[in-house]
Amino acid sequence: MSQTDLHDQADSMVYIVDDDPSVRASLQDLLASVGLASLAFGSAREFIDAERPDVPACLILDVRMPGLSGLDFQQEMARLNILLPTVFITAHGDIPMSVKAMKAGALEFLTKPFREQDLLDAITQGLARDQERRKAAASVDALKRRHETLTDGEREVMELVVSGLLNKQVAARLGLSEVTVKVRRGSLMRKMNADSLATLVKMSEKLKVVNR
Amino acid sequence: MRRTQLTLRLMLLLGLALGIAAIDTVTDLEIAVGVFQIAVVLIAVRILPARAVAGVAVICMALTIVSYRLTRFGDTEAGLINMLISLAAIAGTTYLALRLSAAVRTVHQTRAHLAHIARINMLGELAASIAHEVNQPLAAVATSGGACLRWMATEPPNLPKARQAVERIIADTHRASDIIARLRGMARHQAPTKQWLNVADTVNAALRLMAGELNEQNITLRVQVQDGLPPMLADEVQIQQVILNLAMNAVDAMRQVDVDQRTLQFQVTLESPQQLLFAVSDQGSGLSASERERVFDAFYSTKPDGMGMGLAISRSIIEAHDGRIWVASHSPSGSTFHFTLPAVTGEPNEPN
Repeated sequence: MSQTDLHDQADSMVYIVDDDPSVRASLQDLLASVGLASLAFGSAREFIDAERPDVPACLILDVRMPGLSGLDFQQEMARLNILLPTVFITAHGDIPMSVKAMKAGALEFLTKPFREQDLLDAITQGLARDQERRKAAASVDALKRRHETLTDGEREVMELVVSGLLNKQVAARLGLSEVTVKVRRGSLMRKMNADSLATLVKMSEKLKVVNR
Repeated sequence: MRRTQLTLRLMLLLGLALGIAAIDTVTDLEIAVGVFQIAVVLIAVRILPARAVAGVAVICMALTIVSYRLTRFGDTEAGLINMLISLAAIAGTTYLALRLSAAVRTVHQTRAHLAHIARINMLGELAASIAHEVNQPLAAVATSGGACLRWMATEPPNLPKARQAVERIIADTHRASDIIARLRGMARHQAPTKQWLNVADTVNAALRLMAGELNEQNITLRVQVQDGLPPMLADEVQIQQVILNLAMNAVDAMRQVDVDQRTLQFQVTLESPQQLLFAVSDQGSGLSASERERVFDAFYSTKPDGMGMGLAISRSIIEAHDGRIWVASHSPSGSTFHFTLPAVTGEPNEPN
């Protein structure tokens, strides 16, 4: 593994996995010349074992490598839940392979030697996509944390309220007084930071997607 | 030399058949010596073509009948049954042996065909791996070039970084040329595995692989191999590859020619006591002087989808066998590719 000197203060990271040292070196230098920090690995295994900084990132992956091939590696990443936009580079790109890579969610498939602008464009796009994904994931995380602060009683009320029941009906369903339901509802709206029923419904949908 | 050997073998075979018949005649009718004629048939299958084997079997059966007639001692009825058993054994053996040898021949042909396909595939594999090897440093060069331009475009230009990038470009360029040098070295050191070969057999085996293609393209094949050629010491697979390459080229050259003029001529003569001369002629449109100069270069092809490898490989094979290869175009049309191989006159040490 080697890293560029931009690494410490980096707000984004490009990972390079390629078995050829000169390709790695030239890619790192190219990225450095446009101010992008990078980490390079000689094999897929090294990359998986390495500790990676918690910043928006993107991966440049050589398809044909000894050991784990690039396409196998992409499947392995999906299994390990490493969600990184991936740019494939290959010295012998053929159509079936690129179709497979695209289906597996590759961002771009470039044949060596490629135009460096194509690579940089793909990386910019990849980093933007990863940032969005992280933002979305972060907001779901915050929501989850807020949901965890609710009491069991409040959670029950929330479930019935978002399913469209009125306070009176909720009270009947849970065997509580309508006043208790109103108090719990007010408190859960505050804790979830929801300003309306519609917002609360949306939040509950997002939580359901995550918990599925 | 071949012919005298064959005659000698036939005489021995006949002697064996007569010997068995003689013993059959002098022994009692109850002793079925005639059944040993199957040995004659089994030997004949190894050295004679199918029709001749059938002839031999008929002779053996006739001898068995004659010896039954001539035998004086023993029980006639048992003798008759023994003779019939002998005849059935000879007929059955002949039938089975001929079928077996036909199957063996098919296996040989198929194996040769597969070897040819494997060679073509290997060439494709080789090309792919060369492309991969050379592409790595090229990718690094292109990327470093891009990086270098960007370092120079910054304000102020980052010259140390740009210099580093250029140094990497130089190193990677050397690496690419090292890879190519290594490949050339590999190609040169691949020594052919030479063995004694019969010229006519080698040529016919190679051209047999073309039978389907020739038939499809309605091409008449004329093979003239001079009688009594000495054997050659060569790598069978490689020489057949050269023959196939040249014949395939000839077929390709005649795709636009009228059907009744499509003739592929293959000639082998003894040019001098030390040299065999092979010639492959087509009736295509021939080659211009500049094409003739370049056809043996790698990656040069006159065909729209040609790889430009066939003749380059043929040349390296022939040169590795201490031969020469060249092309002549003759008016009004067609080209003839010639190659020579050293001949070995006099008895070879280990005939094959």
